Amino acid sequence: MKATFPHLGNVYLGVKALFDGLGIDYVIPPQNSDHALNIGTRHSPDEICLPFKIMIGNYMQAVEEGADTVILTGSCGPCRFGEYCELQMNLMKSLGYDLKFIVLDMPKDIGIKELFNRLSIIGSSSKKSRLQKLRAVKTAVQIMHLLDETEALAHYLAGYERNKGQCKSLFHRCRREAMKCSDPQEMLSLIKEYKKRIEYVPVDINKDPVKIAIIGEIYTVIEPYSNFCIEDKLMDYGVSTKRGMTPSWWLKNMALSPLKINSLDIKKASRKYLSLEIGGHARECIGEAILSWKEGFDGAIQIYPLGCMPEIVSKSILPAISRDYDFPIMSLVVDDMTGEAGFITRLEAFIDLLERRRDNVLFGS
Amino acid sequence: MYYLGVDLGSVSTDLALVDKNHNLVEKIYLKTRGNPIKAIQEGFKILKDKYDEREITAAGTTGSGRMIASAIMGADAVKNEITAHARAALEFDKEVRTIIEIGGQDSKIIIINKGIVTDFAMNTVCAAGTGSFLDRQAERLEIPIEEFGDYALRAGSTVRIAGRCAVFAESDMIHKQQLGYAKEEIIRGLCDALVRNYLNNVGKGKTILPKVLFQGGVAANKGMKAAFEKELGFEIFVPENYSMMGAIGAAIIAGDQVKKTGKTKFRGFKLAENNIFSRSFDCDGCPNRCEVVKIYENDNILGYFGDRCSRWTGKTNEILGLRSG
Repeated sequence: MKATFPHLGNVYLGVKALFDGLGIDYVIPPQNSDHALNIGTRHSPDEICLPFKIMIGNYMQAVEEGADTVILTGSCGPCRFGEYCELQMNLMKSLGYDLKFIVLDMPKDIGIKELFNRLSIIGSSSKKSRLQKLRAVKTAVQIMHLLDETEALAHYLAGYERNKGQCKSLFHRCRREAMKCSDPQEMLSLIKEYKKRIEYVPVDINKDPVKIAIIGEIYTVIEPYSNFCIEDKLMDYGVSTKRGMTPSWWLKNMALSPLKINSLDIKKASRKYLSLEIGGHARECIGEAILSWKEGFDGAIQIYPLGCMPEIVSKSILPAISRDYDFPIMSLVVDDMTGEAGFITRLEAFIDLLERRRDNVLFGS
Repeated sequence: MYYLGVDLGSVSTDLALVDKNHNLVEKIYLKTRGNPIKAIQEGFKILKDKYDEREITAAGTTGSGRMIASAIMGADAVKNEITAHARAALEFDKEVRTIIEIGGQDSKIIIINKGIVTDFAMNTVCAAGTGSFLDRQAERLEIPIEEFGDYALRAGSTVRIAGRCAVFAESDMIHKQQLGYAKEEIIRGLCDALVRNYLNNVGKGKTILPKVLFQGGVAANKGMKAAFEKELGFEIFVPENYSMMGAIGAAIIAGDQVKKTGKTKFRGFKLAENNIFSRSFDCDGCPNRCEVVKIYENDNILGYFGDRCSRWTGKTNEILGLRSG
């Protein structure tokens, strides 16, 4: 078995550590690029959302490098992501690829037995002992958590750093170096080291940067390629950002959801506006908008792919939150358009708006 | 002592000179014609004959070509169109609450409360209802674009035209034409459709309060103004320099900026004679393979842009004046 998987932000580093630890052969698809998107757009249904297209591009590029099995997380949820695995299996088959899919669904959808069954297919191609396997999973989860923490720290401190661009370049270097590690333990200590270095970046605590929360659809907020590297751009502008949706948040949420004790703060915050689970992460989007207001953020940016049903619902709720809390929220729709002029205009105008609002509140005008 | 503002848009390039009391003293309107560098050079040639470059104490750029404009002329402020338009509108009238701006390629709505921008929106994936579409229809009906609005006002009644999509609006128009409706009625119908499209798409979820200013090139169209007034139920105002508002805003913002920094980065009118050109190349630093544009002035490199990681632009932030405003 030569496994591959679609890209999602920094997930490839966690998966790399996992497969290295398990001793399973794998292919990491080339980083998302216009090329991957072009391949995906050519073969995908036109109306499908952007993540689907990029993922198809990932698979095809990975197959070129010898991959024969795709490992994918599933969801039988009401949003289109629930159909991704079936659609993608059919699509790849009709294109003549002999590609095996291992879909990791929730136990409540496929039964715990079936999940273990699917996991054992992956496990059986590893020659390690059971203890070593458990250790590999543990390290990979640790790496994912640490990466998300480090990234969040870099995004937040970018607003306070004394030497412009230091957080951004440190974090990107961390990703590049981690990619070179062949041993999970080595990667873990490398990321720890970088986290420490970002913690010690010289900051000006008297600075009061604009603070923006990034909310919306999980794929398009996490995967920088799909959102025109919005977080990097905000770092360049000296804006502090926060994003609740991370791969490690997703893991934790999934693990706790059978007990219904997942993301209690978000559920509580969103109750007034959206008390139901409507699929995707619409409820999280609403909840995070309100939580970030409570935490003193200046505004929020919602990102979602064109045609995303759950986020269309939350988009129509956000103006009410904006009005009730006097909290600016801008929605950005991403699709396979790669021209970024209009995108940058909106981003800059939004930052201007937040800055001016603040001046006005502080000094009057 | 003048402040210069350049609005390098997709269709037109506007240059505005304002004095220190923010009064407009010179305006130049040029067609961009897909060559932004040449458009600026042309504009500078005209300015050069009338003014000394030492009189320009601040320069700002805006519009979709603001980065390239800043790279070649040296700007104190590089501002997005939304902020620039709002700044100019507030200078024109402090009471303004809503700005409707329709340009060549995009349309915007800006909501203002107590003199600050509180909300805005731009058209997303659809360009229906913008200047380019009107231009095309005027051409097809063989009416000069300047008279388009008058035709609409002359119509006794209106024809319903689908306004959601430019392509379907066009087929609807052709269909109505073949049924024998008068040009005037079709044009009025088109204006109504575009206004509906604007209010439903760009203005969606926003409360439009008076006083409303109508800016951008399309504001010249009296038919559009009338259609907006009918739909909104109150009078809207078109400022005298409706097509120059972006450039005026950029000039004023640059003036404010220089007051802070004390010195302008403006490089003078000499670029009108120099040979300025751009070359693009695919960066091979990572799989993104960004298309990077390199701007030359004779043999010197003025700046780079187009990369995502700032491997190139990082070197020239100074020249580009990134977020210097």
